[in-house]
Amino acid sequence: MTEVRPILEARGVFKGFFGNPVLKGIDIALQPGRVHALLGENGAGKSTLINLLSGALTPDEGTIAIDGKAVARLSPSMARAAGIGVVQQELSLASQLSIAENIGLGAYPKRFGLIDYRALARGARDVCELVGVTEPLDTPVSSLSLGRRQMVEIAKALFAKPRVLILDEPTSSLSAHEASVLADVIFTLRDRGVAVLYISHRLNEVRALCSHVTVLKDGGITADRSLDGIDGEGLVRLMVGRETGALFPPRPDIVPGPLRLRTKGFSAGIVRDADVLGHAGEVLGIGGLVGQGQEDLLLGLYGAIPARSIETKIDGQSGLPNNVAAANAAGIVYVPADRKHEGLVLTHSIASNIILPSLAKLARRGLRSRGAEADMIGDLARQLMIKGDVARPVQALSGGNQQKVALAKWLPLDPGVLLLNDPTRGVDIETKREIYKMLRRFTGEGRLVILASSDTPELVHLCDRVLVLREGRVVLELRGDAITEEAIVGAAMGIEADGETRIVREEVAQ
Amino acid sequence: MTLATSSSLYRAVQRRRNRGLLGLYIVVTAFLILYAVLFPGILSVGGFSKFTQNWFPLALVAMAQALLMLNGGITLAIGPMVSLGAVIAATTMGGPLGTFGGFLAVAAAGLCIGAATGAIVALLRLPAIIVTLAGSFIISGVALIMLPRPGGFVPEWLSTLLAGHTPMAFLLLVLILGLWKIFLATPLGLGIYAAGDNPVGAYRSGVPIDRVKIVSFALSGLLAALAGLFVAAQTGSGDPIIGTPFTLNSIAAAVLGGVGFLGGKGTMRGAVCGSLLLSVMINVMFFLGFPPVAQYVAQGLIIVGAVAVPELLGRWRTNR
Repeated sequence: MTEVRPILEARGVFKGFFGNPVLKGIDIALQPGRVHALLGENGAGKSTLINLLSGALTPDEGTIAIDGKAVARLSPSMARAAGIGVVQQELSLASQLSIAENIGLGAYPKRFGLIDYRALARGARDVCELVGVTEPLDTPVSSLSLGRRQMVEIAKALFAKPRVLILDEPTSSLSAHEASVLADVIFTLRDRGVAVLYISHRLNEVRALCSHVTVLKDGGITADRSLDGIDGEGLVRLMVGRETGALFPPRPDIVPGPLRLRTKGFSAGIVRDADVLGHAGEVLGIGGLVGQGQEDLLLGLYGAIPARSIETKIDGQSGLPNNVAAANAAGIVYVPADRKHEGLVLTHSIASNIILPSLAKLARRGLRSRGAEADMIGDLARQLMIKGDVARPVQALSGGNQQKVALAKWLPLDPGVLLLNDPTRGVDIETKREIYKMLRRFTGEGRLVILASSDTPELVHLCDRVLVLREGRVVLELRGDAITEEAIVGAAMGIEADGETRIVREEVAQ
Repeated sequence: MTLATSSSLYRAVQRRRNRGLLGLYIVVTAFLILYAVLFPGILSVGGFSKFTQNWFPLALVAMAQALLMLNGGITLAIGPMVSLGAVIAATTMGGPLGTFGGFLAVAAAGLCIGAATGAIVALLRLPAIIVTLAGSFIISGVALIMLPRPGGFVPEWLSTLLAGHTPMAFLLLVLILGLWKIFLATPLGLGIYAAGDNPVGAYRSGVPIDRVKIVSFALSGLLAALAGLFVAAQTGSGDPIIGTPFTLNSIAAAVLGGVGFLGGKGTMRGAVCGSLLLSVMINVMFFLGFPPVAQYVAQGLIIVGAVAVPELLGRWRTNR
């Protein structure tokens, strides 16, 4: 095979922030008609590399080249003009503008200096059709769900007919169906000669979609090769740079302890008439497609949204908590999916975040007790393997480590019931493993963990029991060895559990 | 519903953007009817003209404020800018520059001071509220140095033209709203919304957010300075502190009109309606014989209500 000239390249780029080197001499070449995977743990420098390739950042050293020619100072508008489309992990949509106005943003077709709404509608409709966005084009983005917004984001990247498409964790908020539509789109683009860079933590997705892989580790490259002849284990090895044990801790063979939670006829948000049991020492998984009531179930149990039930007993007490403070007092804690907005105070230090729920407990005569706080902070940081100075702001941590802080801050309250909403979304494998281990340790201490997850393998391998929700109802309960991907996906999609239900990823693989 | 024809996208988007204003329209209409009952003179050409002339400068400063709030900013320099506009008009129009030259001087001062403020905010990444607070002291000072006490000269014919017995002010307002509509249909104009809503996302999408910010500050300065020119024409002279109440009233009008504080939310039409509501409210309370203190209290309560009611309605809707 002759060497094809790459459309977009980084040549020996270095980039650091505040004296911390993040990328140390990276080369990457995106070739037309190839889906290129970019793998690496959180903090390996993936986001930084994407920002360099798309002009949002400028390298300290090295060059970015388009069509073989080095570009001195690439800006996002230049990159967009050169045909580089980016789907960022954080959405770049303006929520008050319509779908169409968002899709064209930064690349509006013009007539006499005005936005040509007619051409915009035509172009937007084409890309919307391609990605399956069926809402009217004048719908404001604020009224769409997270998954739909992600699809609009993808349509937006396609609008300018990109020659290079960079996708950063595009499926993390998508339903299985939307993910398979995206896979089709990617293949269509590839066949048209578009160079695709695909970043994901879901290895089977990467294996199904991509043919070439670059692996980043600690700002350097550990592999730049074809995906042929390398298995998942091999990829994980390249990312973490050493042998990996199984990702999931073994499911302990214990008899579940006494009931910690029992609710009958529970309704909250879109959840209707759910019966939920939870035992001490159990990981109870909540599965289903995105937005089927998983979050409402957790928030209802947490007293954060109005909920009612026919009968509820939590740790011997009757009734659902009326508000969050009552839930905390009853030993129920919640770790939100959106850790940046709900879980953490990003600009404050790791230490302040960890100590926040315990301030009242540690205070003496209404005043804070610094000594006791420092002890607790040190203790937790050690337990959670949070590395480095706890005085750093939380936003300096990688996503996975932020999640660990969001979890850690509740431990001093000695909660009996932990409600976790997709705790490993967008978290790298190594941190995932640490979080799983942590959860198992909690259950070992007799706590009940209720885990809503969009990651099916997590439900299969981590949970003792799984409830599958569809349209707010519990449609299936599985336990032990009966928990399989087929059964969960099938129930979630409303199809009988058989070989057919694995379409989502398997079809893509062909 | 899908779009019947692609040409209707523009109209559909506009319709949706203005949909939330219905409640405001009803309240404004109710107040206008009350006003007309109390003071039927408004229904004559002269009465209507006088009424719109009292409203006009407030409408301009509400637009000046809304422009920045939509972009995610705010300005505390509106009042001083109005004063400076009045002072420049009153000191230049009698001199060698002439009336037209004076008009250009006012416009240029508004644009340049606004652009400079915008450049400081955008390029140095400083908070708009602090920069414009500092700016308000400087601009007030300059206005007082130029004209230490009320005076100066505004040609008689200009006063008659703008603040006479014709609804000129109203026509100008319609013209300015039309120009805004056209501006909003340009990528730069819509960029004000996008950059106010999600600055990082807009930047990454290729919107020149610094330029958008500087342009919105410049246009805001222009509107405030022109409001000053109008006030000078209305009173026939310049007054270096005449603009002071406009700073807070501009924010009140924009908030009444549904312009959000976090950027990207609201419409210019809403802000202008908000200023009309504020103006009518002040007039109605005046005619009902409220003492001035009670007027302020009532004004404050109404503004809080205007913000709280849609919020409560929204909550009630989601809980249902």
